[in-house]
Amino acid sequence: MDDAKRPVQPLADDQGRAAAALTEGVAQPALSVPQAVGDVERERSESAFRGAVRLLFSGWIGKAGAALFLILLGISAYVLLTYPGDFGTARWSSPAYWADNPKGAPPVWTNWLGGARAVEHAVRSPGEPVSVTARGTGEVRVYRVPFAYDADEFPGFLSATLPGITYATRAPFAAFSLLRPDGTEVRLANVVAPGPRPGEVAPYRRFYDTPERVLLSSPADGQSAQALAQVYATEYPGLTVPADLGNRLAAGLFARPAADGSGGLEPLPGEYALQIQVVVADAADQVAPPETVLGGSVYGVMGTDSLGRDLFQGLLYGFPIALLIAVSAAVSVTVIGAGLGILSGYAGGVTDAVIQRLCDIVTNVPKLPLLIFLVFVYGAKLWLIVLSLVAFSWPGLTIFVRAMVLQVRSGQLVEAARALGASRWRIMLRHVFPQVAPFVVAQMIFTAPEAILAEAGLSFLGLGDTSIPTWGQMLQAGFQTGGVYIGLWWWVIPPGVLIVFTALAFMLLALAMEPVVDPRLRARR
Amino acid sequence: MTAILRPLAVRALTLLGVLIAVLVLLVVSLGATGFSDRLLEAQVSEEIRAFRQAQSEANTFIEPAVLERQAIERRAELERFYGLDEPWYTRLPAAVLRVLRLDLGEARSLRTTEGDTAVSAIVLERLPYTVALLLTAFVITVTIGLIVGTRMATRVGSRLDRALAFLAAISNAIPAWWLGILLIVVVAFRLDWLPASGMYSNPPPEGRWDRLLDLGHHAILPLLTLVPISVGPSIYGVRTMTVTAAQEDHVALARAKGLPERQVNFRHILRVAAPPIVTGLIFGLLGTLSGSILVETVFNWRGMGRLYYDAVSGTPDEGVIVALTFVFTLLYVVARFVLDVLYLVLDPRVRYG
Repeated sequence: MDDAKRPVQPLADDQGRAAAALTEGVAQPALSVPQAVGDVERERSESAFRGAVRLLFSGWIGKAGAALFLILLGISAYVLLTYPGDFGTARWSSPAYWADNPKGAPPVWTNWLGGARAVEHAVRSPGEPVSVTARGTGEVRVYRVPFAYDADEFPGFLSATLPGITYATRAPFAAFSLLRPDGTEVRLANVVAPGPRPGEVAPYRRFYDTPERVLLSSPADGQSAQALAQVYATEYPGLTVPADLGNRLAAGLFARPAADGSGGLEPLPGEYALQIQVVVADAADQVAPPETVLGGSVYGVMGTDSLGRDLFQGLLYGFPIALLIAVSAAVSVTVIGAGLGILSGYAGGVTDAVIQRLCDIVTNVPKLPLLIFLVFVYGAKLWLIVLSLVAFSWPGLTIFVRAMVLQVRSGQLVEAARALGASRWRIMLRHVFPQVAPFVVAQMIFTAPEAILAEAGLSFLGLGDTSIPTWGQMLQAGFQTGGVYIGLWWWVIPPGVLIVFTALAFMLLALAMEPVVDPRLRARR
Repeated sequence: MTAILRPLAVRALTLLGVLIAVLVLLVVSLGATGFSDRLLEAQVSEEIRAFRQAQSEANTFIEPAVLERQAIERRAELERFYGLDEPWYTRLPAAVLRVLRLDLGEARSLRTTEGDTAVSAIVLERLPYTVALLLTAFVITVTIGLIVGTRMATRVGSRLDRALAFLAAISNAIPAWWLGILLIVVVAFRLDWLPASGMYSNPPPEGRWDRLLDLGHHAILPLLTLVPISVGPSIYGVRTMTVTAAQEDHVALARAKGLPERQVNFRHILRVAAPPIVTGLIFGLLGTLSGSILVETVFNWRGMGRLYYDAVSGTPDEGVIVALTFVFTLLYVVARFVLDVLYLVLDPRVRYG
């Protein structure tokens, strides 16, 4: 028992102390106020600032925190620059926008984990035509959309959407056909734009308001099934052509008759291409190239939810929102908490007593139940959630700052300022505040993760602001529709990981700040 | 004796202030947003319906017009009784009283297992389940915290100690309810080891002991969620307090006297560290109280926390939400008071100082 007999080292490690201070929360003054206020004052020079920054990032905690925070900022900037302003209402909450996507599809990379390979859901735009040939006054434009198909299952469907056609005299038409890796071509469908209506004048504009979606693998299209059966018969002689090909057209297009002659289908892997021939009567006619979709069962980077929403987009959108919540809550809590703390400590008397009693009451209130109540009664608006959060979070900082101010107040600097006739407000702002500022900044960073977690919790209970999708709301959707219980892990794990990631970024920064703001932690070294 | 009573009285007053502040916040919010009007109107309509039925049963030959007139009179009477003919702020004292007595009328769609619609009955039925889950988690956390924490105090600065400090800090960044979701996906869905949600199997087993065992079986996952989140800070708190106490001079003196190490540890270190340890642990419990709302929701543990979710989603049940908020505050305040009493009992300085 040598260990026990040895006088215990006075907490040799910075990290340990910092962590202790953090876990105990701000309400208990675990961080004691620096006695040597003069130290702090002397360090308020440029070089001291640089030294502090160097200290902040000297340990791995500071580096890791800074790295995570930079990632947060980078992704947020990307989202702010590229996402439409009404992403929440116009896209995320609009089921029509996601209609073509597979529902509850896992991410594409699950294919790499082994097991049966699923079809990747692919949305492609053809871009420029591969060939344009003149025909009379008009021309024929040929587009080709390549699809690589290599899976153990068949695609769900093949569709194309014509986003808009403008023509001058006769209606253009588009002919779709599928080029298969065995060298065959299957004619699929022809689409003709509606002709001029009586009294309508050229140019005629079609499909701009509601893009024309053509289901190329439609079972109702008997001609395609016949064409496919023909291809099967000539290309694979002697093999039974399945009788129900019309009903399984999407599968049949990417398959060949089963080699065992059972009348079934087997996948035909290889390079496919959807060929689109657009015939226009006037070379000036405009036909926007159609967007084609190969219906698969795995989707994108992060998969889809039960409405077919691209979870990757939602997850990215969560970054700036989380940052917004964290920063606005942390700044408000800090301004109110530190302001009241300075006032309370410096003014003393009745002001002090009133603020301290108020602190007593607010710290003893259970936060989450009251947050739920307030958001429930006043409506689920993001600013209201942040405001309610702030209303219950300031006292910790107030108690802490007040204790510091009481010490600073009796220092010589403040005494000198008072002797020079500086006003109370001036002393508070110019002389007291700068001395408590480093601590306040550390506590501010520490408030941020709390705000993110609280918003996520409220959202999870269904009290989130639905016009602004957050990670908490994604989790709530996954939970409420039972995604958790049927194992849609790609829906419920990533949002939580990102919540932890963001909270951790702030927490690591706060941890790294502790030795910077408390000179005693440095002196011990 | 007065040395104990005075600080206790101050705390009691503060906590009473908290309770009153929350009550006022509740009724003012409800009044200002028109929620309380709607709640009372629903109650009046319910009573009118009962009145009509009673009248027509008592007198089968009553004329519809007469019944209608009686109902209108009765409604006016009731509205006057509940103060609906006056602005909301004049009813504040009455509203506070109603919340205090949990007299919040009938729930809209929520019921007790026996089908009782009274808000108070619904909330009180759920209370024991929340308390049972929380207390179990608390006892486990405290036990681990005390055992591991005091051990860690002898190994300050070791690699394990640093790792623990770091884990304790970052466990604040992990939402307990998400950990619960993770456990459901992995342990309940992928591995199929434990039930994912609910409190009893379907159908529930016969016999008291079997039912209790079944309840315990369903409680494992919620406990596996609640304990890891709070155990890090708990261990670290105990360790730090013990270390601080072990540095005191009287400990060195006790060792110098040649007291057995066991006695030094228990009588001279732990006894001194006890009050702040108790404070820290109960702070942890209070944190878990809030966290349990979400954890219960995830696991469909039918306590008060899950009731929040049930009352918020679907048809909103205002009365239930008000009652829950009040009962949670009450629990919180009571726990704080117990904490203060314990602190006074454990810290002799308060008694003799």
